[in-house]
Parts: sequence; C-alpha cells; structure tokens
Amino acid sequence: MTATSLIARKESGELLLSLRGLAWLMAVAVSLSLFGLLLVSNTELSLLDNAQVVYDMVGIVTALGGLLSLVVGIDAVAGERERGSLVPLLLTPVSRDAILAGKLGGVAIAWAVMYVLALPYLWAVGSTGQNLIQGMLVLAVVGSPVVLGFGFFGMILGSRLTSARAGLFTGLITLIASASPLLLGPSLRQSAIGRAFDAVNPFSAAVNAYDAVIIDSQTIASQWPHIAVAAVWIGLLLWLARSAFRRIAR
Amino acid sequence: MKFATILLAIAIAFSATAASATSLSVDLRPAAENPTAPQMGDHLSFHSVIGNEGDTPINALVAWISLVQIDKGKEQPVDLEDWSAHKAVTTTSVPPHGTIQSDWPMRLIQAGHYRVVVSAVSRDGTRLVASPFVDFTVRQKPVVESQRVLPVALGIPMLIGVGMLWRRRRH
Repeated sequence: MTATSLIARKESGELLLSLRGLAWLMAVAVSLSLFGLLLVSNTELSLLDNAQVVYDMVGIVTALGGLLSLVVGIDAVAGERERGSLVPLLLTPVSRDAILAGKLGGVAIAWAVMYVLALPYLWAVGSTGQNLIQGMLVLAVVGSPVVLGFGFFGMILGSRLTSARAGLFTGLITLIASASPLLLGPSLRQSAIGRAFDAVNPFSAAVNAYDAVIIDSQTIASQWPHIAVAAVWIGLLLWLARSAFRRIAR
Repeated sequence: MKFATILLAIAIAFSATAASATSLSVDLRPAAENPTAPQMGDHLSFHSVIGNEGDTPINALVAWISLVQIDKGKEQPVDLEDWSAHKAVTTTSVPPHGTIQSDWPMRLIQAGHYRVVVSAVSRDGTRLVASPFVDFTVRQKPVVESQRVLPVALGIPMLIGVGMLWRRRRH
C-alpha cells in the first residue's frame, strides 16, 4: 500500500468510523430527511413541482457537500497542525505531493460517501417525476468538481492561515457567497454584475446545469460550458492547493 | 357614377372579407391512441384540420392551441410552457378547398378537468375561428409518496445513529 493510499484511508476512516465523522453524516442525513418530510404532506404537487423538488434537493446536496469538503479540507491541514500531528507527517520520508494526494483522496472519499447517502433521498422524492437518473448523473458530473474544489480550497486556507478557525470563517463566507444562486433565481441575476458573477462562479455553473437537465430535460452533454467552468475551477484549485501545501513551513 | 363606383368597391371588399372569415374552418379531435383515463405524466395528442372552404386562398394563417382548467373554483387558462413545446402553426397560404393538418402533443403536468381548443386567424380575416372544445380529465398521480419518503427519511438517520452507538460502545 502506498503512502498516498494510506493517508487517504486514514482521512476517510476518520470520517466513516469516528464519532465525529458519523455526527457529520448524521447532520447531513437529518437535513435531507427534514426536506423530504416537508414534502410528504403536500398532495398538490404537479409533475413539474416534482422535478423542482429533485432540483432543490440536488442543490442542497451540492451545498452540504461543499460545506463538508471545505471542513474536511481545512481540518486536513490546519486541524492536523493544531493537533500537533502536521509536522511529524511532513517529516516522514514521503513527498509533499504524495501527502497532498492522500489528503485530496480523503476529501474525495468524503464526497463519495455523501453522494451515495443522497441517492436514496433523491429516489424517494423523485422516482415518479422526470429526469431522476439524469439528475443523479448531472450531480456527479458537474456537482462533484464544484464540491471537491471547495475541499481543495479548504486545504489552501488550512495551509495559508495558521488558525483553523480563521480558515473556517473565510471558507464559510466564500461558500455562502458562491452558493447564493440557490437562493437568488435567474431573474435576480440578470444585471451585468449578476451575469459576470454567474460566468465565473462554479456554483452558478452547477445550478444552471441542474436547472437545464432536471427541469428543462436537456442533455448533460449540452451542458459542456457549465462542465468546462467546473473543470477550470477544480483544476485551478488543485494547482493552488499544491502550491500552498508545498510552502508549508511548519 | 363616382359614388356608385365607391359603393361597389366597398361592397366587393366587404364580401371578400366576409368570405375569408367564413371560409375558414377548424376541426379538433383527440388522437385515437390517447389513453382512456390519462394520469399525470401521460402524453396526449390532438389532431386538428384547418380547412379553406372558399374559392380564394387564405393568406398568413396562424393557429394555436389553448388549454383551460375547468375545475370548480379553479377555472383558469393554463400556461402551456411546461405542457407542450408545440403551441402554434403558421402557414403562408391555404389554397382554395385545401387543408392544413396538425398534431398537438402535450404532456400532462397537473391533475384536473381541462378543455382544449385550437384557434385560427388569417391576415385578411376579421374574426377568430375556433375549433369545437375537446374535454379531458387528468387523474392525480402521487408524486411524493409518504411510503417511499418515510422509510428513507427515518431509516437512514436511524442507521447512522446505530453506527454511532456501536462506535461509542467500542470505545
């Protein structure tokens, strides 16, 4: 077993097997459960509303995934530093890139677990509506790079800022600003500033792709501009995370 | 003589317009393959025949489909945005005694009693020509069923809770 896979296994094991990690999963599950239970009493939903429900839930999963990845990313560096285990890890005869890859693997596994956790919820609210499978696929194709990018962003913050709390505060503000398209409809983003923000915001790319695929029944392939924005986002954040992690002095 | 010419011209114009309006006919029928008791999510199709029963062409014809909900207390026109992508047909000319046939597919989005009609106007016509109504009922289909949501919404947190208890006991 390589050092990278060992580190990834340790990081993901902390999420899946520790009480702290299970508490995170419980919080995510309770959030999705509450959303699903709110819908049960509504007997007036039309088929279109059903697609809207899937769209909303996919958006919520992306936001929760971004939050989870951000915290896991910050904790992977700043948390280790505060627990005093970062320096011993950096002093091991393993390259920085291998350590970073292991940490990134931990973020990816955390997101994969959350994605799998969300699938039954999506099925429960959307199996009689339209485009459920496409919704699950577009979440994987466009949502995953966006979510993982926030994990990488968390690692950058953890590497650059000495305090995990400061990193968390900065990351949360960025995530909330980025996820604002979930609350602001397209009509409220039609100003020049709104369009410019939409063009560069990876969360906007994901939300717009969800809307087009789940509600408007467009193909995932036709969403290549949004996929491109998500790919640029994760590529840029990966490069910055590598650069920041290499510069850690202590 | 001049006055008589003007009267003749007005009479010709009036008769041509009246002929154009009355020579247009619109018929609408449900497609034979439509389900007998459609429910939300099903597809229906309607077939229209727009005819020119006159001896002169009808120019610049526009025909469109309209849907009205007629449930008691919910009477309202329905925005077809989500129901159908095929909402209108246009043609530059319908020859004398010619017909234009169109199919109007739609996906049933919401339960209720509905009335569908196809209307047509032409450039020279003076009034709207509408088809007979076709009524249909869309049955309710549960879209968010409690028997699916409840086991997932309650079961998954319980499973994670059991996992947390198991971890706590092991420690």
